[in-house]
Amino acid sequence: MAETQGHLGSEVFYDFEDMSCGDLLIALMKAMRPLSPGTLVEVRALDPGAPIDIPAWCGMVGHTLLVRAGGPARVHYLIRKGGAS
Amino acid sequence: MAKLLISITNAKNDTDRATVGCVVANASVASGVETVVFLSTEGVRLAQEGYADDIHEEGFAPLKKLLTDFVDAGGTVWVCSPCFKKRGLDENKLVPGATIVGGAKAVEFLSTGAASMSY
Repeated sequence: MAETQGHLGSEVFYDFEDMSCGDLLIALMKAMRPLSPGTLVEVRALDPGAPIDIPAWCGMVGHTLLVRAGGPARVHYLIRKGGAS
Repeated sequence: MAKLLISITNAKNDTDRATVGCVVANASVASGVETVVFLSTEGVRLAQEGYADDIHEEGFAPLKKLLTDFVDAGGTVWVCSPCFKKRGLDENKLVPGATIVGGAKAVEFLSTGAASMSY
């Protein structure tokens, strides 16, 4: 079930539920694009590939992954938007 | 900028391969990589307007949405000219963002250092 609020004190929260691979990254890209650099974004992503993909993606596009947290499943990610899209 | 050419050679003959190729292309373009989807052999059918509208693999977004997202995100779609002509497809009914090219265009892109994956 989708969540509507984050838990990590971010300015923006997105729940991508079980989106994966390219679907997840396209959705992340679209979500982050309109935000100003420096914006704190919390993301919830349930796909088992997300713990690998999200840090890799952040590194490639210039965002900073600050925290991965959120219970035993650790499905919440706190990202600071960099200067790229 | 890193470069990646994703070769897709399947359409309704293997919707799994066609779909996953598009999904990986989206992962690439969303990661800031200059990405080209090169459609050849049966894959050229994906460039025909309307053809892919009913391709929806379980667990993935519909193929039409994947291609639309790819182009909207800045990806490039090249369509093999002889493959397209051989199948009698209509060059006036290409999906948005698709361009018919010869093999030289793909070779040129690869020769500039692009990596490639094939589906």
